Amino acid sequence: MAPKNVIVIIYLLTLTGIIIWLGIIFLAPYLASESSPLAGFIYALFSPTCHQIPSRCFFVFGHPLAVCARCLGIYAGFLAGTLIYPFLKGFFSPSLPRIKNFILISIPILLDTAANLFGLWKSSEWLRFLIGLIWGVILPFYFLAGFSDYFIRRHKISLEIHHKK
Amino acid sequence: MNDQRPGMFVPALIGGAVAGILSGIPFVNCLCCLWIIGGGMLSAYLLIKDSPMPLSAGDGAIVGIFTGIIAAVMEFIISIPFKAVTDKFMRNMIDRFSEYYEEMPRGLESWFQEGALETSFLWAIIGLIISVVIFSALGALGGIIGISLFGKKPAQKGQGSVDVHKDTGDRQP
Repeated sequence: MAPKNVIVIIYLLTLTGIIIWLGIIFLAPYLASESSPLAGFIYALFSPTCHQIPSRCFFVFGHPLAVCARCLGIYAGFLAGTLIYPFLKGFFSPSLPRIKNFILISIPILLDTAANLFGLWKSSEWLRFLIGLIWGVILPFYFLAGFSDYFIRRHKISLEIHHKK
Repeated sequence: MNDQRPGMFVPALIGGAVAGILSGIPFVNCLCCLWIIGGGMLSAYLLIKDSPMPLSAGDGAIVGIFTGIIAAVMEFIISIPFKAVTDKFMRNMIDRFSEYYEEMPRGLESWFQEGALETSFLWAIIGLIISVVIFSALGALGGIIGISLFGKKPAQKGQGSVDVHKDTGDRQP
């Protein structure tokens, strides 16, 4: 398959994946409100990647979301970043963001996490969400570029082998 | 050219073990998915350290995927003895919550009473499989970020390594 097609497929899979992921996060409290046993499974599914402390979660349908406000922000930011990716980068010239940009965008989440951890201040759920959102936006620019690079390189290597034969 | 690349197993094992253990310990796991991304970054750093040649973002993605798989298995094992502690902590949280808020969100209490976090062995295995997929994606992300942060720049172009370049900054997020 041509690398361009593979890159488009990677993009569409990533976009679909993050939409489903966010959908499941909201599905958990809905199922819990309907007393479905699947709710417990979904909450358990997210427990390895999130502490799920209820006081740090948004409540929907009377139940906490499957992840905390910060994680929700990161995933929502990832979706936003994925949506704007083709307009900022184009599909076919994968390049990683500059280190300076990554460090700048990581400062709020690092500061807020450290401050909350050491009890310097207590952020509201909305602030946690916003900070996660800001950080999440840059992540697809790594994710998509990294996987695109992998498949482009594989394609080049297979072409080289083909030419040598 | 490929034979010059360092083995990915040891860096992935170290990064995965660190990420999995930290994700599985109650209280320490408050950094959520950041531990897995951090584990991927650690693996990428260790891979770069042992590599005589510049590595690409794709290499970071692959070592990150392996890191995620190992982290998911490690977290699964580590969390078993801590399950009782975690459940107790969650129940204490709801008690604290009720002290601060006059009106409890509807259904929160019953959510705990119904044992929302309890799952059968079969569900646990299905959960582990899904965790492997999720952790792999997060690990890959960490691996790519790690390559970007710690990676050596290619000495010459066209030597079969880096195709993904650092952006010149004209179209940045």
